[in-house]
Parts: sequence; structure tokens; C-alpha cells
Amino acid sequence: MTREIRIALTGNPNVGKTTLFNALTGSRQHVGNWPGVTVEKKTGRVRRNSYEIEVVDLPGTYSLTAYSADEIIARDFLLDEKPDVVVQVVDATNLERNLYLTTQLSELQVPVVIALNMADMAEAQGDAIDLARLSAFLEIPIVRTVGTRGDGIGDLLDAAIREVKTSPHHEHTIGYGDDVEATIAMLADALSADTDLTGRYPLRWLAVKLLEGDESVLDKVRGGPALARVERILSSIDSDEYEAMMADKRYEAISAILPQVRKANVRSMSPSDMVDRVVTDRYLGIPIFLALMWGTFQLTFTAAAPFMTMIEAAVGWLVEFVAGSIEPAWLASFLGDGIIGGVGAVIVFLPNIFILFLILAFLEGSGYLARAAFIMDRPLYALGLPGKAFIPMLVGFGCNVPAIMATRSIEGEKDRLLTILVNPFMSCSARLPVYILLAGTFFPEQAGSVVFFLYVLGIAVAIASAKLFRSTILPGEVSPFVMEMPPYRIPTAITSPRHMWSRGSMYIRKAGSIILIGVLAVWALASFPLGVDYGSAGSFAGMIGHLLEPLVAPLGFDWKVAVALIFGFIAKEIVVGSLGVLYGTGEETLSSALLADPGLSAAAALALMVFVLLYTPCVAAIGVIRQETGSWKWAGFSVAYGLVVAWILAFVVGHLAGFFIGGA
Amino acid sequence: MGDLCPLAFLSAGTEATIAKVRAGKGMQTRLFGMGFCPEARVTVQCADRGSLIVSVGDARYALSRGIAMKILVECAKAVA
Repeated sequence: MTREIRIALTGNPNVGKTTLFNALTGSRQHVGNWPGVTVEKKTGRVRRNSYEIEVVDLPGTYSLTAYSADEIIARDFLLDEKPDVVVQVVDATNLERNLYLTTQLSELQVPVVIALNMADMAEAQGDAIDLARLSAFLEIPIVRTVGTRGDGIGDLLDAAIREVKTSPHHEHTIGYGDDVEATIAMLADALSADTDLTGRYPLRWLAVKLLEGDESVLDKVRGGPALARVERILSSIDSDEYEAMMADKRYEAISAILPQVRKANVRSMSPSDMVDRVVTDRYLGIPIFLALMWGTFQLTFTAAAPFMTMIEAAVGWLVEFVAGSIEPAWLASFLGDGIIGGVGAVIVFLPNIFILFLILAFLEGSGYLARAAFIMDRPLYALGLPGKAFIPMLVGFGCNVPAIMATRSIEGEKDRLLTILVNPFMSCSARLPVYILLAGTFFPEQAGSVVFFLYVLGIAVAIASAKLFRSTILPGEVSPFVMEMPPYRIPTAITSPRHMWSRGSMYIRKAGSIILIGVLAVWALASFPLGVDYGSAGSFAGMIGHLLEPLVAPLGFDWKVAVALIFGFIAKEIVVGSLGVLYGTGEETLSSALLADPGLSAAAALALMVFVLLYTPCVAAIGVIRQETGSWKWAGFSVAYGLVVAWILAFVVGHLAGFFIGGA
Repeated sequence: MGDLCPLAFLSAGTEATIAKVRAGKGMQTRLFGMGFCPEARVTVQCADRGSLIVSVGDARYALSRGIAMKILVECAKAVA
């Protein structure tokens, strides 16, 4: 007979919970080397002997008193869903702080198993940890694991299963000294009147959390019979002082144990520190960051070029083949102009997407992202954003949807909202094909620099918008930030390509689904009503385009661009796909068709890139803005604001470019 | 015990002992969880006009000036 059990993975941020989760369940959840990669709970399943085990991966947290949105998710799950076993993933290279959370988990009286992760790294830096003794002190089973290699996975599952079977559970808590203990006893006595509450949570844990000033626990007491007495007790003490004393006692208990279980090597200045001296230097930091970004886009462009040429040749051959050999003509048009012209135009950029994500995965895995946040803290603070906001902004270079979710680790509500609203200006990978097509066509010599300029413009607009919002609709102080700097790591040969592949294949699937539908809609609009010339002014596409043309004509765009922009609202790659369809690139590549069009000047192409960078978030991003802000109001605001900013900047850039290079 | 001064005033390479953390509810709990607790030793790795990278125990943290002002340490110099 099989038994179902549920295991929750918890622990400090960036200790390798998700790596372990992937190893346990065979999942491929995203991992990175910065705190706060996981912001929602993820579940997976694994079978071990006669047990069907559900594993839940939780966002990282430093304590059981939640502060930011991701911590609340982790804490609420542990408290209210009551998993059968909690596996605390502990970073073996940072025992002291990790065990602080352990002391709190013990108070919660849930069965705990410790996965002593990154054990190989602790050993490599010369530490020797006596697992058996540590386990005996804590009265918690400990399993040595190395998540990246999958070491200890089976043992961990076995230990978890054993814990489920062992009941009742032992209780091991810290003593907080006479004063605090007396108050805990008073609070516990008062709380015992609320049987409903004490039935759900351990009494001592409730009292401890109240003493620490945990608001959410106080909320649970509100409305119950114990409230008056609890409030009276709490008002007689200084909870800040108590919290400090209790934290002190916890660390004291930990440091009493540690020398007995660990032989720590003397820490010298680590290579991480030496790298940090350079990359976070007050003068060198920002130039280094900009150079890295410029290099990224230069590489994205040049390294992909040969592969692009190959795909382009294949698509071109296919188009010719279809045009030459398929009857009737409408079917040839459907296949050639519609599917191949549209989806083909998007697929050409697959190599760029792969390379961009490979570099982003490398940056994420190396630990540099957290440094970028530190470097940018000064300039961002002056403009009304916390430095921490910079990580979601950089993640936005990949895709704005996970980037907007990553804002959950930002503590201040206003800071978070602000970071969400400016995130769509960070140029996601879906916009890259548009730039590569247009920059490669109109500015072949400077394409890498043009693309770099667009990314920097996106950051500049995001920052300027933050400043504007901060002084108008979201006034207030920037909350100060504290963020862990993970040690630099060389991303393993597996994780970066895997991340690249998962994002790249997502791009292919997108091309085969939403982009395909989008371009087919454009093809249909360009082909009907029956009898009109394909893509002519008389077609539906022509009518819609001409209706909207006056709106975009000042920017130098004609009706074809107007149609492409409308469909780009669904997904920005469709802008390229639609142009591919509308230009009906049967005999020539889209690039030469664009060059040959007198209606599109180089200056207008630049304006178009700026417009695509800034105008409305795509449908998926709008959805996630709605989800994370909890209101359509902000989603709508984001669309309207983006359109206005895009129009103004495209106008300015187009005319400036026209002045300098002519042709606007 | 010597005078107290904010962590933000220390320069790179300095080591100090934390005396008090007064950062407001929530943030204070977070800081304790991170190891910024009275009596903990903290070393300033990098300092840029009040923003710091510090090490506490085996961890490195970036702190904005706002937080670094609220963590008070015992000033080594003031101990006479």
C-alpha cells in the first residue's frame, strides 16, 4: 500500500533549495546565484519505496517572521498547510546564520530534517563538520547533500520518511533567560484561553512570536478571548528590546554548539572579496557594468550572425519552393506569405535568443547580479528606487513576466509597485528580433551599438519614470535595503546551457503557437475581403492600417507598421512576423524588402525601434502586472503611460535622427 | 563600552562589534535573522559614501546607507 506524504523545502535564501528540489523531483525549475530567485511555491512528486512524496519548494526566508511578499508565502505554507516534514536546507558554509532559522523551526514543533547542502564547498574551504554530533545537539536528523551533483538525495528522502513515522515528536527549544521566560509563561497562560488558536499553533511558539512583535500573530489573536490580557502584557514591555535579547540568546546557543561540531578553517580574504573590491569600486563599478552590457549585446549580435544566415537561407529556400510548386495560389500564399513569411521571420532570431539567454544565465549563476544592485543603489536611491529593484530590472532583459514576479522580494509596498510599473521598459528578449531586423537592415555597421543604445534607453526611461512616479503618484521615502551578496561561482556547464535551452525552446513554442496565430490573423486581414490584391490598401489590414496611420504618421510609420504594432500587443515578436507577412517577402528577404520600401526611412526605423521598446507591455506582462498589483487600474495605467512615452520619444528620436542622417 | 556610532561611518577594512539595531519592525527581524545581532562582529568590505558591503559571520551583505545608519557599532577609536 502506498502512503502519501508531503515535504516542504525551506531555508535561507540562496542556499540551494531549488537545486535540491530539481534533484529530488527531476524538475527543471529555474535556479540562479542570487537571493530571491524562487518567489512562489513549486511542487513536484517523487516515489520512494512505498511512499508517494509531494515535495514543495518554498521561497527563502531568514526567519519565521515574514517581512516581504515572498517570505509571507513561505511562512504561511509552513504554518497553515502543515507539511508532514519540513526539510531545512542549510548552507554548510554558513552554519551560524542558517541554524538561526532552525531554532525557530524547532519552536514550531514540526518534524524537521536538515539537508546540509553545499557540503562539498565547506569541505573545500577546509571546514570539517561532525554531522552526528550536530544532529545530537539539535535533536534533528541531518543528511549531507550536494544538490548540484544529486549527492544524498536518497538518504534525505529516507530520513524524511523516518521522521513522519516517528511520533510523537520531540521538542527542543532555546531557553531565553529568566525575564523573558517569565513573560513567555504569562503570555502562554493568557493565550490558553483561546483554545481555537492553541489548537492550531504551539502555545510557546505563539508567545515567542508575540514577544518578538510579530504583527501577523497578533492578528490571529485579535477577535479571540485572549486579546485583552495579551495586549496588557505586551504594552508593559519593550518588544524591540525583547526581540534583541531573544535573537541574542539564539545566536548564543548556536555559538555554544558550533565549536564542538565544526573545525572551521581560518577565513582569509576570499577570491570573491577580491573581485568585489574591483567590480564594486565607486569609480570602476558603473563603467564595468556598462561594458559588460555592451559586450553582451555585441556578442548576441555577432556570434549569432552566421547561424542567422543559415536559417535565413533555409527559410528563403522554403518560400521559393512553396511559391513555385504549390497550387492553388491562395494555398501558396497562405503557406508562403502567412506561415513561412510570418513565423520564419521570427524563427530567424532563434540564435540571438539562445546566446542572450546563455549570457544572462551566466550572469545570474555567477553572482554578479547582486553586485549590480549594489553598484546601482546610489544612483537609483537618488531617483527614488531601492538598489534591490535593479535585479528585477535585469531579469527583465530576459522576460518581464518573471521579472515582475521577482519584485516580491522587495519589502516596501510602494517600492515594489514602482519597480513593477517601470519594469516593462526593460527591453525583454521578445523585442530583440525587432531591433536585430531593423538595426541590421538600416544600420548594418553599428547594429550592436544601436541595440546597446536601446537597452540603455530602456533603463533610462525606467529610471526617469520612477523619479516621476515618486514625485507624483507614489510619494514617499525609498525603504532602505539589505541584500545578501552570494559568493561568486562559476556556473556549472549544465545549468547555463539548460537555462538557455529551456528559454530557447519556449521561444520556439511561442513561435509555433501565439505568434503563429498572430501572423495568420494578419495574413487573413491582408488577404480579405475576397478579390483584393494581397496586402493592398483595399484589404482589411490596409483599412485598419490606414485608419490608424494618422496616429503614427508623425513618427514616420506607414499603415503596414501600424498593423504590425497592433499585433505586437499580443507578443512583440509578432511585429517582425507581421512585417514579414505584410511585405509578402516571396522573392526577397524581409531585410531587403524593408530597405526597398520608400515609406520607411532609416530615421523612421530608429523611431520604430524606440516605439517597440517602450509602447505597452505585452498581454502576458499586463496579466502579471494585474496579478501582482491586485488591480486592473495599474495594468491599464501601465499600458496608457507606455503608449504616451513611446510616442513622444519615438517622435523625438526619429526627428533627431532625421536631422543628423537625413531622410525623415 | 565605548561610544556608539552608525555602521555607515566606518571605512573599508574596519571591523567592529554591533551594539544596537534600531531599524523598525520587520526590517529589524530580518536583520537579526541575517546575523546583524548585538555582539556580532562585522567587517566592512567596501564602502561607498554610506552604502556598504559588509561581512557578518560567513555571509556578505550589501546595505544601503539608510540601514547602515540604523545599525550602531562600538567605535573602536572611542574606547580609551
